[in-house]
Order: sequence, then structure tokens, then C-alpha cells
Amino acid sequence: MRTGMRGPKRFARRGLGAVRRVLRGAVGAVYLRWRRSIQLRVVTSTLFISAIVVAILGAFLMQQVSSALMDGKVKAARLQLDDGLAQVQRDLGNSTGDGSRLNSTIDRLKSRSGPSGLYEVYIRDTTEQYFDGYTTNELRQESVPKRLRQELKNAPAGSRAYTYGKLSYIGGRPDERGLIVGGRTGQFELYYLFPLTQEQQTLTNVSRSLAGVGIVLVLLLAAIASLVTRQVVIPVRLAAQGAQRLAAGRLEERMRVRGEDDLARLARSFNDMAANLQEKIGELEDLSQVQRQFVSDVSHELRTPLTTIRIAADMLYEYRDTFDDPAVGRSAELLQSQLERFESLLADLLEISRHDAGAATLDAESLDMRDLVLRVVGDIQGLSERKGSKVVLQLPGEPCMAEVDRRRVERILRNLLVNAVEHGEGEDIIISVAADRDAVAVAVRDHGVGLKPGEGQMVFDRFWRADPARARTTGGTGLGLSISREDAQLHGGWLQAWGEPGAGSQFRLSLPRVAGAELRGSPLPLVPPGAGDARPLFAELEAGE
Amino acid sequence: MSACAGTRRFTRLLALAALVFGAAGCANVPSGGQVLSGRPAERAERVDDPYVRLIPVKPRPGWGPAEIVSGFLAASASFDDGHKVAKMYLGGQTSWNPGLRPSVTVLASRVTDPHVVKATADQATVRITGEELGTITADGQYTASPRELDATFQLAKTPQGVWRITGLPGDEKSGLLLTKDDVERAMRTVNLFFFAPDRHTLVPNGIFLPVANREALPTQLVQALLAGPTSWLAGAVDSAFPKGTRLRRSVQIDKDVAIVDLSKEARGGDIDRMSAQLSWTMRQLSEIKQWRLRIDGETVAPDDMDATQFVSAWDGNSPDGQMPDDGVHQSAYVVGPSGFLGNLQDDRAQPVVTGLAGRLSRPAVAPGYEEVAGLSADASQVLLAAPVTGAPTLHVLLTAHKGARFTAPSWSHDGTLWVVESRKDASWLWVRRPGKAPVRAAHWGLGGREVLAFRVARDGVRAAVIARVDDRPQVQLGRIVRGPGDSLDVGSFLPVSSELQDAVDLAWRDYGTLAVLGRAKRDSQTLPFLMPISGSAITSLGVGSLGEPRTIAAAPGAPILIGTRSSGRDQICRQRSPSNSYSPWICPTPGKDPGYPR
Repeated sequence: MRTGMRGPKRFARRGLGAVRRVLRGAVGAVYLRWRRSIQLRVVTSTLFISAIVVAILGAFLMQQVSSALMDGKVKAARLQLDDGLAQVQRDLGNSTGDGSRLNSTIDRLKSRSGPSGLYEVYIRDTTEQYFDGYTTNELRQESVPKRLRQELKNAPAGSRAYTYGKLSYIGGRPDERGLIVGGRTGQFELYYLFPLTQEQQTLTNVSRSLAGVGIVLVLLLAAIASLVTRQVVIPVRLAAQGAQRLAAGRLEERMRVRGEDDLARLARSFNDMAANLQEKIGELEDLSQVQRQFVSDVSHELRTPLTTIRIAADMLYEYRDTFDDPAVGRSAELLQSQLERFESLLADLLEISRHDAGAATLDAESLDMRDLVLRVVGDIQGLSERKGSKVVLQLPGEPCMAEVDRRRVERILRNLLVNAVEHGEGEDIIISVAADRDAVAVAVRDHGVGLKPGEGQMVFDRFWRADPARARTTGGTGLGLSISREDAQLHGGWLQAWGEPGAGSQFRLSLPRVAGAELRGSPLPLVPPGAGDARPLFAELEAGE
Repeated sequence: MSACAGTRRFTRLLALAALVFGAAGCANVPSGGQVLSGRPAERAERVDDPYVRLIPVKPRPGWGPAEIVSGFLAASASFDDGHKVAKMYLGGQTSWNPGLRPSVTVLASRVTDPHVVKATADQATVRITGEELGTITADGQYTASPRELDATFQLAKTPQGVWRITGLPGDEKSGLLLTKDDVERAMRTVNLFFFAPDRHTLVPNGIFLPVANREALPTQLVQALLAGPTSWLAGAVDSAFPKGTRLRRSVQIDKDVAIVDLSKEARGGDIDRMSAQLSWTMRQLSEIKQWRLRIDGETVAPDDMDATQFVSAWDGNSPDGQMPDDGVHQSAYVVGPSGFLGNLQDDRAQPVVTGLAGRLSRPAVAPGYEEVAGLSADASQVLLAAPVTGAPTLHVLLTAHKGARFTAPSWSHDGTLWVVESRKDASWLWVRRPGKAPVRAAHWGLGGREVLAFRVARDGVRAAVIARVDDRPQVQLGRIVRGPGDSLDVGSFLPVSSELQDAVDLAWRDYGTLAVLGRAKRDSQTLPFLMPISGSAITSLGVGSLGEPRTIAAAPGAPILIGTRSSGRDQICRQRSPSNSYSPWICPTPGKDPGYPR
């Protein structure tokens, strides 16, 4: 029973919801169309404005026609009234007309009255107290408005007056609008009542035709506006498409030039611009190609002598205790360490030049991020102990599988961890791993000096250093984070930094679970919980974009 | 290239300018063009001519008894809304309701001097006097009865302190006291059509009908028709509508088509004959061109006709008998210069009966052309001759009493011969049915009067006479009732018009008009007049001298002929153009006593 009651209600609610959704969808579509289409906007405003103008014009015309019609009618009516008054004066003079003479007068006046005639007549003897005059046919005496009678009563003899009113009839005949003219001669008041049905008919016909013409005109204007905007909008649209393709990198895109008009000029300038751009970009590409090649070549070329130098330096290092002068031994040690730095710098340079040349490839396999993290943590265990930092792991219970390049991700993680240990000031280092449906993320948090505003981006710049005063001896090559970011981007992931002076910093690596898939969000917050206050973060700038 | 474009733009501009000027030209009133012809608007019948209504005033609070009576008399001339205003003059108990078919006492002029004869603080008696012309009964029949009117009204003061009429003259069923002007303004004479005893020819029955409202007029007319003939014609005619037939609803008119919806009693009637009566009655209203008959809501059609009938159908039932074909009218018979009976053709009398030279005056050829009746030269004998050719035998049908003479013989369409024998103080009507001996009518309404002329109408039911009343010849109209057996009642003669002071001869022009030779009130000469049976104004016919007109002949669609004597010569005169009533008289034919057979 209850379900039976509830069923239709639910059904109705669902139906209502569906209707509302459809409506909202339609409104949304129309709004979108409105926002996007110049043509629609132009046509709509043309429709709107021309409709207003046509309506005003139509009202004005109707006013003119109606007043012209009424003027003619009033003129004719007054002539008729003059005629009738003259007749009354002739027949009755100023003497007291007895009933039969008045009767015969109205008999003469009535001849053109009635439905087939033009008017009705009402005549009245003001001295007669037992009846209120005569009317023709079905006309009721109430059709003569009181105001007109009053006006005539107060007006000097021989004056005429007219007004508009409603003619009412006895029997079933409906009321009609009418023009009522009245005049007084001696003791007699004479009124002519002209039904305006014919005029009303004419006005109705005229207004109908005007409305028809107006609608056609407005539609015509809208059609014209639509045609004109189409002629303008289509080339503009083509230009927009061209520009879009150009922006997307298809520099060979050109517009079709047709005719000699303004749009053709636009197309030509566009084409010139595109040609110039293509040329300049080509030049720049060539130049950067040459530079990259140069760096790569230099790195390679440096390698061979370096190997030789390395062999020599190793030998020197091995025999450093045999040198008499302890200063020479120190130099051999120094040479050895600087050579190691030089080698890693060279390796990094080669790696980054490979990225620049687009030669870096992804060697993806499905791995558990937790294993990677554990391995890297194991590698730097010694370093962290030396620095006095404790590494805290926050790993999820279930595997965080992702298609990643093991070597690159390990490099990224090692880089981050080494950085954290080095800048961690001996504080705890927290590594968290998280995963969701699409992505996995690793965040490395330290509690060192942190980053100043703006440094969140700069940390990824090549050869950037947090503290320029700090000797180059301690740090890495200055290319580590740049390479890490290139590696993250190669996966389609992000590498982002957050930091606050005194509050430490956090680096977050977010990777899609499937290599090459687009990343929409990260399972971990960039700002560590508890650390971030209301300040919007410079590092929120999406490094991946 | 650009020059070419410029030329094109210029051409376009020129075209646009031409268009604009052309359109402006269209908006002008035309100043020339072809001649367009149109037909004149159909002349409206008199029945629905424009009419005039009197606007009554409500009783004013300060009016005394005499003024209340005057106001009531004036207000009772207004039929609006069922005499609503007039009823305001009456006290609460009075159930006066004249309705749409009131009985009316017709006064010569307005009562100007109501005077209070007896008055107390809250009771009064008001007496009016005036000249009564006649009465119209509730069925619409007017009867002239000139006499002095003397009536009293009882009035009482209401608790509100105003005077109201509590007692009307006569009783509460009494009708209206209207002046002649009021009647002419508020009422119309219309014809109702009923069947003559031959069950084929229609007879018009003129009645007075108040025109309260043009839209209700068709309904009023049909209701009057269903109510049957007036007392004057009752018995002489019959109606095809079974007793108790009513209108189920008012007559609806939609674009010239009227719908008459009769109650179920009409199923017993003959649809053809009912249709003929309704058609002829309704054709008096110009707004009805066609109509449809329904009985109990069901459309019925007469035999061989559409359900939507034209009011002009049923011409075969015309009161004028069968109308001749268009343009061909019957030719008249005249007495030629040498006494022969001739047929008038192209203003020449072609002798037909030559053997009776000089012995037959006022000849009348029977409608069947098989006999001719006439009078002897001194009108003391009625003669009959057959056949109407060559030299037939002539025999005396009737011989008058001493001092009496016969009126011109008159044939009715069934071949009956009618002639009145008349003395200064008495008259008798002789009737001869075909092949039988003449007999005196059992009842003759003018037995005590001298009758100068007697003509039976073509419908055989009405008869027009010139009778001497108060030493003045008067045109009167009576009706013929055929009683059981062959007994005839010819009577109920009523004056048709009082506009002539003398009348010499008459003839039926058509069913509604008499052609009368007479003298109008201010004339010194006898002239022809057209006299409508309805009692409306007579119109004089033609212009020019006629000498001394003696006899007149008329027939529907045929020229009116007048036998006249001028400078000692008998002539037959006709109008130069018979269709125009003002056309002058010409007398191209020598001869006398013209007459049409039908």
C-alpha cells in the first residue's frame, strides 16, 4: 500500500527532475550558443530593436489612420446635423410644436436611419414633460451620454457638440461604439448617432495588415542581419581557426585570400605574420639545436681527456702517502674529489642535454612505489645518520602500483632525499606515499630552513642554489632537481615544491598510474597538513603545466 | 572595375527610388479609371422601413393625479421592454399587461385635458375626454367607430406619497389608449396569408402589429400567422396550420435565411400549404430571402423543393391568381366606337363580338373567356352572351326592380358572376354560379345602402364596394363566407380609406391595392387613385386632363385603363408609361367601358 502510494510520487519526482535537467541543459546550451555566436547575438538584437521600431511605427500609423477616419466621420456628421437642424427649424420654427408636428419631423429625419442607413436620430422637445422625445429604430435614449446633454444645455442656442460613446439598443442587439453629434435649435435638441462599426472594421483590417507587414519586415531584417553577419563571421571564424592551428604549432597554416576587401587584407596580413613567425621560430630552433649539440659535443669531448686524467689522478691518489710533501698528498686528495664532482657534473650535463634533445625515453614497468622508496631510503641511510636526521616513513598498507621507469624514479627520489637530508638541519625527514585510482604520489618533507617566497619555482632552475654563499663543495651539481623534473614530466607527472622560511619544505612527486596518462590531481596535498596556513602558496603553481 | 561597380550601385539606387515613388503613388485616391456600374440597393418593403420610437418618462415624484394620467397615456405608446415605464405609473395591484398584441383604442389626438373629478387626500378620480376613431382588437383588426371617448382613471396615493393609477377605464384587460400618430408610429400594417375556400389561392389578411423591435418582427409575424385570421376573415378563409401549432423558439435569421421551428402539432399539417403561407407572410420582410421550415426541431422540405426555400417561391398561390409570364399581360376588352366588343391591342380595339352592337355596356368577360356579361344601356338588366366571338346570342339574366339598377358585373376566378342590384335605400347581391341560375346571397351586409360598384377580388374572398354612407360614396371592403350548402355570407364591410370624398368606380389592381376613380378631399375633379387596402395613404395616378372619367380597369402587371368622356366623345385612356405612376395620361383609343377578364 505504502509502496503503491510512494511509487507514483517517486516516479513523478523523477520525471520532474528529468524535465528540470532537460530544461537546464537547454538553457545552458542556448546560453553557451549565445556566448559563442556573434551571429546569434546580432540577429537577436536586430530582431529585438527592429520589433520595437516597427511597433512604434505601427502605433503611430494606426493613430494617424484612426484620427483621419474619425475626422472625416465627424465632418460628415456635423454636416448631417446642420442639415437636420435646418429641417427642424423649418418644420417647427420656434413655436411650440405639438406632438404630431414633431412626429412628422422625425418621420422625415428617420428616412436614412436604421441598420441599412448611416445613423440613428434622437430628437427631444425640452418643453415637453410627458415624454422624452423620439428615437429611431431600436436605439435607446441612454445612448446619448449625459455629458453631451449637459454640454448642450449650458451652451448658447445654436451650438453643436459631439462626443464618442456607446450606442445601446433594445432587444438583443449588442452595443456598438458610436459618434454622437448634437445640436439645439429653439426648444428642440437633435442628436445624430453614427455607429462606428464600419470604421472599427476598417481599423481592424488596417491594424491586421500592419501587424502582418511588421512581422514580415522584422523577420526580413533578421534574415538580412543573419546573412550579413554570416558573410563577416565566416572569414573571421576561419581566421580564428587558422590562428588556433598556428598556436598549436602548425606553422605552415595559411588563410585563403579571396577578393580585395577588408577580410582579404586581414587574411593577407595573417599569412604574412604566420610566415614571419615560422621563419623566426625556425631560426631560433636551429640556434638552440646548435647550442644543444654544442653542449652535448663538449660533454662527450671532455670525457676522453677526463678518463685519462682520471687514471692519472687515481694513481696519484693511490700513492698519496708516498709523497714526501704532505701538501702534495693533500692536493692529490683534492684532485680526486674534484674529479668525482666533475664526472658527475658531466654525467648530469649529458643527461640534461639528452632531455633537451628529446632523446630521453621512458623504460616503464609496473612497480610498487613503496619498494622504490624503501630502496632509496636504504641507500641514503648512512648519509642521514651522518647528518643526524631520522627518516620517518608513512607508507600505505596496500601496494601502490604504477607504470614507471625504475631508474628515473629512483634518481628523483634519491635527489629529493639527499636534498632533504642536506637541508634538513638534522631534523626528522618524513616520506609519505599515497595512491588513488589514477595516480600515485610521494612527498618528502624536511624541517630545515625552508624556501623563501618565489623559490618554489626557482629550485628547479639549472645551477640554482639556495644559498649562494655556500661553497660548491658540499652540494651536488645544481642540475639534480632540473633533471628530476624533466624525468617527472617524461612520465606525465608533476614535481612540485612547497616551502616556508623556518617551517621547512616539502617536495611532492605525483605520477599517473599508467605511463603517459594525463594527471588530474594528486593523492597527497602539496602543503603538509598542519604546516600550511591561509597563505596561498607560490609553489601551487603547477610545475607540470 | 570600380567604375563598373559605381554604375551598378547607381542603377540600384535608381530602382529603389522608382519603387519608393511608385509606392507613394499607390497611396493616392484614384483620379481616373474605368466606369464601374452597380445595381441599386433593393428597395426595402414598408414593413421594415425605419421606424420611430417614443421615449417615455418615468413618473416624477411631484406629479399630481392629472399629470400622472397624462404621463401614463404618453408612456403607453412605448412598447419598449414590455411597457416597463408605463407600468411604473400603476399601483402595485394592477396587473395591466398589454403585451405585444394589445387591443388599442385609437384617439384622434392626444388627451390634453385630464381633469380631476373627485379627490380626497389619498384617492382621486381623473376623467379624460377625447375623440375616438376606432379600435384595434387584440388580433390586429382595425374597426372604425368614431365616437366620443369618456373614460375615468382611479388613482391612489402610495405609502411613499406619490400618486399611482389603481383603476384603469374598462377593466384591467383593457388595452392601450393611443393617438392616431402613436398608432402610425408604433404599429405597422402587415398581411397574413390564409387560404381561400378553393384551398389554393392565398388571401391577405391585413393586421396592425406593434413594431417593438425589428429583430422580434419576424417572430411576431409568424406568431400572428399561427394565431389565425382576424375576426373579420375568420370563417371565410382557412389556415393550413393544425390547431395548437406554436413556434418552438423565435425565428432565427442568419444571413438572409430564416429558420421557423414549429411545434410538433404541425406534423398534422400539409407542408406545402404551410410553406406557402409562411413564404408569403415572410416575404414582406426584406431581411428574409430564404427560409427553412422545422417541425419539432427537424428540418422538413416541401415536395420537389430544397429544405431552404426562397420566400419568392409559391407564386402559384398568389392572391392575384396565376401571374402572367413576364411582359405579357392579358389584353383588355372594350366597347368600341360602333358598339362592338373589342380586344384592345396596341391602342386599337380589334372587334371580337360584333353582333351585339350597342346593346351591351360595362361588358365583363369571364376569366375562362367563354361568356361575357354586361348591362343594358340603362343598367336595369344584366345580360349574358356566349361564346365570346362573332355574333352570339344574348339573353337577359336579371331584370331589376323598379327604380333599381345594377352595378357593373364582376366575375370571380371560379367563373361565378357577381352583381349588385341597388336602389337608393336598399341593395341585393345576385350570385350566378357557372351553369346555374342566379340566386340572391343569403346574407348581404349592405342591404340597407345604395351600392355604386362591386368588385370581387381575385382571391374570391374579399369584395370591394363603393357604398353610399351618410350620402357620401365610400370605398369599403367586405369578405365572402361560404356557408354550409351554397349559402353565402357577404358582409363585414369596413371602410378602406377616408381620404376620398367621392368615388365613382373601382377595380382591383392587385391583392393589396385598389384603383379607384374618385375625388380627394380638396379636389374638384374626379381622378384615378391607387388605394392600398392596408389603409395607408392613397396616391394619385398620372398627370394630365382626363375629361370626365367614368370607368376604370386594372389588373396585375397590366396598364390601368380609364373609360372617359371628354367633349362628347368616349375615349379609353392609359398612361404613357404604365410602370411610372407619374407618367401622363394619353387617350389614343376611342371606346368605352374597358375591362380585364381576370
